[in-house]
Amino acid sequence: MSYSNKVIISMVINNENYDDLTVETRQHLGDFLRDLGFKGTHLGCEQGACGACNVLVDGESVRSCLMLAVQANGKNITTVEGLETSEMEIVKDCFVKNNAMQCGFCSSGMLMTTYEIIKSKRKYSREEIREMISGNYCRCTGYQAIVDAVEDSLNKINVGM
Amino acid sequence: MKSPAFSYYEAKDLADAINVKKTDDDAVILAGGQSLLPTLNMRLSNPSVLIDISEIKELREIKIEDGFLCIGAMSSHSKVMNNKDVNEVLPILCKILSQVAHPAIRNKGTHGGSVAYGDPAAELPAFAVLVDAQIVLSGFSGERIVSAKEFYKGLFETSINSDEILTSVKYPINQNNKQLFFDEITRRHGDYAMAGLVGSIVQKNKINEEINFVFFGTGDKPNEAPKTCEYLLNNEYNYTDIKDILKTDIEFASDISSSSDMKAHLSAILVGRMMKELN
Ligand SMILES: Cc1cc2nc3c(=O)[nH]c(=O)nc-3n(C[C@H](O)[C@H](O)[C@H](O)COP(=O)(O)OP(=O)(O)OC[C@H]3O[C@@H](n4cnc5c(N)ncnc54)[C@H](O)[C@@H]3O)c2cc1C
Ligand code: FES
Ligand code: FES
Repeated sequence: MSYSNKVIISMVINNENYDDLTVETRQHLGDFLRDLGFKGTHLGCEQGACGACNVLVDGESVRSCLMLAVQANGKNITTVEGLETSEMEIVKDCFVKNNAMQCGFCSSGMLMTTYEIIKSKRKYSREEIREMISGNYCRCTGYQAIVDAVEDSLNKINVGM
Repeated sequence: MKSPAFSYYEAKDLADAINVKKTDDDAVILAGGQSLLPTLNMRLSNPSVLIDISEIKELREIKIEDGFLCIGAMSSHSKVMNNKDVNEVLPILCKILSQVAHPAIRNKGTHGGSVAYGDPAAELPAFAVLVDAQIVLSGFSGERIVSAKEFYKGLFETSINSDEILTSVKYPINQNNKQLFFDEITRRHGDYAMAGLVGSIVQKNKINEEINFVFFGTGDKPNEAPKTCEYLLNNEYNYTDIKDILKTDIEFASDISSSSDMKAHLSAILVGRMMKELN
């Protein structure tokens, strides 16, 4: 049986429709998004280890290097450029205030994981925050400042209080 | 690196997926892709077509039936972890899954994918062997059930035939007051374990009547340890003896994280922790 190595797909990215785009079946979502200009999605390892490439698919964080663009056909994608809910604005502020980003390479992925933390609407100990962000490498901050930022965000958003 | 070229096929239903698999030896099932896509990105394999089974609704069911917790192959780790029935009848599974990878990977990675792939360092295959889960396979000539103890043959080798798809895993519940344990040693939360242990113990009047251990991250597949368990029925835990006996039960295999002796050491430590938790 033979199938095509190219397909035509459509999806919603940051609330805008992207229709009838031709994509190679082997291309992963991370490369696809970057080719479209969403350069906030960073690619580090392309093996699932670093978490820099995390984006939201239908509101859940996923590794964009471990999902094919064709698998995102018909789905709703949010990249860091589109993380604009009032809660995420608070989170971004907290990241800046707590110096939770230096080079910024890990930050979009960290924000996606923080989105999951906020979404679960419960309290987190610092230890639990560390567990949640354990899938995101940061080579600059030493993590302390990131845990501070997530904790600060949770306090400001009053999650689970 | 980028993956080699392959084509993509979205299966309409189970029969459709099996049909494509049957007609093409180089076709590969794509479940959550969390193990498959890294290997493709590293160009470790070269499939002709990926058969995506994620739209097959019947593979996503989680239900309790005839004394079994049945988990559909395409249930994501996150869905299983947060499922009410699973939390009620087999809470240990939720505890185990919280240590499987990281949130973004758990959102895509599937129960069936993990059990079918049979990574010797993975938690779920070891747990399936411990409780002797029933693994349901569907192929061209129909459905069959393989017990987890028979399922794992060797390194990434299982008894799935080339035209078969794993459709669900059935875990027995209410097992004669068996207490279930899980523990592992990792370098980073969510990483594959350097060594891990799932165990079950039946006690009567504080006396251990039955002990079962299955280790992961230790050898070429989930490793049972009958001699160690037998020893512990009649003797107190003692690190040196346990490490020695474990070495007769399991052919410890080194990996990038640790030597085989280190694996034996960590396994003996895990047994000690488990016996302590029990007392
Ligand atoms: C960074 C990282 C860390 C991880 N850490 C852990 C960990 O600590 N513990 C752990 O257990 N796992 C870990 N994983 C793996 C993860 O749990 C995977 O989701 C899982 O092993 C495979 O499931 P999948 O649905 O992604 O399968 P896929 O990647 O889609 O498939 C894997 C293989 O199984 C076959 N397959 C899949 N489903 C079926 C089916 N229903 N029938 C027949 N064949 C099938 C595929 O053809 C393929 O060969 C990690 C992954 C990453 C990227
Ligand atoms: S680039 Fe996707 S996890 Fe590292
Ligand atoms: S800020 Fe540089 S990697 Fe995290």
